[in-house]
Amino acid sequence: MPMHRWSFLAFFLILIAAVFGPMSLSEDPQQPVAKPFAPPAWIGGDAPPPFSATLSPADPSVQIDWKWASPEDLSIRGNLSFEVDSVSASLKWETPGGDVFNLASFEGNDDWAVDIDARDVSFKRSLGISPFENAANLMFPSLGRYIISIEGTPPSGGSLTVALPGGKWGLLGTDQRGRDVFSLFLVGIRVSLLVGIAATLLASVLGLSIGLASGYLGGAIDSLIMRAVDVLLSIPVLPILMVIVGIWGKGLWQLILILGLFSWMGTARTVRSLALSLRESCYVENLRSIGASPFYILYRHLLPEALPVLLATISLGVPGAILAEAGLSFLGLSDPRVISWGRMLHEAHGFGAFTAGAWWLILPPGLGISIICLVFLDMGRAIEEMADPRLLKGGRR
Amino acid sequence: MRGYWVRRAAGAVAVLLLVIAANFFLFRVMPGDVVSSIVDPRFSPEAKERMRELFGLDLPLHSQFFIYVRRMLTFDFGISFLSQRPVWDELRSRIPNTAALLGSALLLSSIIGTWLGVKAAQRRGGLIEKVALVSGSVSFSFPSFFVQLVLLLLFAYTFPLFPLRGSVSIPVPQGTLPQVLDYLWHLALPAGSLVLLGFGSWAIYVRNLMVKTLGEDFVLLARAKGLSEERVLWNHAFRSALPPVLTIFLLALPGIVSGAIITETVFSLHGVGKFLLDSILGHDYPAAGAAFYILALLTITSNLAADAAYSIADPRIRVGHRAER
Repeated sequence: MPMHRWSFLAFFLILIAAVFGPMSLSEDPQQPVAKPFAPPAWIGGDAPPPFSATLSPADPSVQIDWKWASPEDLSIRGNLSFEVDSVSASLKWETPGGDVFNLASFEGNDDWAVDIDARDVSFKRSLGISPFENAANLMFPSLGRYIISIEGTPPSGGSLTVALPGGKWGLLGTDQRGRDVFSLFLVGIRVSLLVGIAATLLASVLGLSIGLASGYLGGAIDSLIMRAVDVLLSIPVLPILMVIVGIWGKGLWQLILILGLFSWMGTARTVRSLALSLRESCYVENLRSIGASPFYILYRHLLPEALPVLLATISLGVPGAILAEAGLSFLGLSDPRVISWGRMLHEAHGFGAFTAGAWWLILPPGLGISIICLVFLDMGRAIEEMADPRLLKGGRR
Repeated sequence: MRGYWVRRAAGAVAVLLLVIAANFFLFRVMPGDVVSSIVDPRFSPEAKERMRELFGLDLPLHSQFFIYVRRMLTFDFGISFLSQRPVWDELRSRIPNTAALLGSALLLSSIIGTWLGVKAAQRRGGLIEKVALVSGSVSFSFPSFFVQLVLLLLFAYTFPLFPLRGSVSIPVPQGTLPQVLDYLWHLALPAGSLVLLGFGSWAIYVRNLMVKTLGEDFVLLARAKGLSEERVLWNHAFRSALPPVLTIFLLALPGIVSGAIITETVFSLHGVGKFLLDSILGHDYPAAGAAFYILALLTITSNLAADAAYSIADPRIRVGHRAER
């Protein structure tokens, strides 16, 4: 095996990333993790990273060492329960300058649900600021140590979660909904690989059977099939796919089926010419003369001959299917619930990645598609060279 | 010669009829009754029946099909569901834009690709051959919209040299020359990106053809006669490789039409491809069918044009002794 070809190793790595990458994600990639269009952490500058802390009966006070610009939002959610009858407690926020805000008061009752968001008008009212001011800015006036604590009656159960959405995030930032681009990128590998390989396999099976039938049977069937191939090759496929997807629906399996049905032509041609040349060869004629059935000849002799060529056409055909899937997704003709690289580029184009200057939404999926396609192209060429060593003699094709 | 043309024209008509038939049936297999998708469900049954009569849906399928073929051939595409205007009025203003995009992209990428391919074949292993091989890999593996998005981000957003979107400036400049320049300014990035993605595969095909041709005896003979290298290359070798080069044009055409649809979407051009997408997304079936038909028509016409060029370039067809390819 030509393992020295870089593409085989790269394909192996991509497979591993496709299988284990999405499994390694602990969070649902569809959930927002930071503010929309947050840049990657390594270029985010003094934008705050996402922060969260938990207040519990055992730990009723949390200190936050703040070294960044003020966040755009702050939320405190959770439940608290008290055992005593006459509760008198409050949630305090202390800034480095010594200012103390009373965020919430718990009086009388013994169970409290807390749901504070710095963007809520009622919360802004309770702090005594106008609804048009940013409460988070007011709560973070400077750098230093902030203390959030439950004072008064100690709670007996429940917990509060303090969350600050970050202004920068992870390896590749966030998209227009605040989702982690790196997780989306990892999940997107699966769609590209699945659609590319499944559609090409389907197309190859179709192309193999049609090509063998056409080349081996010859005559009227042959000319009819070849005419159909000519016609299908001379019509642009993308508008047909667009119309069919627009009418039949946008599911992943429908897409694979449609792509397979419209990309068998090249394989059929290659297999046909192979079958034609083999049909005239002496050993096939001998086989026929000793009474071998056409099916036996096709299955036992033509198919093994065609296999390496077929493997190469599969590998060379995958980029076409991947690009077609990405193109359709980019045009918005894919299932919006399925994360794919084309879909990511569609959303980047449609939801203002440009005005946000968010290159991290465009480069990773685009380069991902290109690299997968390059890998399959190179693998195809390597298999071609194995099947036909003459290609090696003249140097690279 | 005549036999060749009759066959080619018959083939084109057959493809056209096939496209029309596909169009007719595709838009009729969609789920649900046609009428129910366009009228209010609260209409009375009598009103619905009248609607069916109005749209000719009460006729048998084959007469519907003949009416459909006649209307397609006379460019009578009906009324758009979305804009409530005749589809042909919507399409008419878009066809020149798509034709300009396709034409300039095809012309430029074929010229650049052919030159690069011939030069690469002339000097194997040289810098030009490396450029051709790399650009070929790029054009086979880089998605067009990705390259175009990067170009937009670089040359329209970060460095605003080119417009972000559209086919003309708003307001449209006064005078013919400023209008033409404005149009070309808007066309530069879309057509340029298509050329950037298209010339590589072209160069590789031409190079492979020329490598084969340059190894033939008549090239050796031309060299032995003492002809200049340029003359051997272009007048002898390339001239004999020209007919297969033109078949590359036929092979590249569908891909470029598909690329034009995506390009028009990325750059929000006022073209047929963008119209097709908007119609499909808006479930505007008459408009989608018409746009699909126009794109197929553009492809078939360019196919015929390439056939004409082929017949001129190939003496076997021009002289007409052996009409077989």
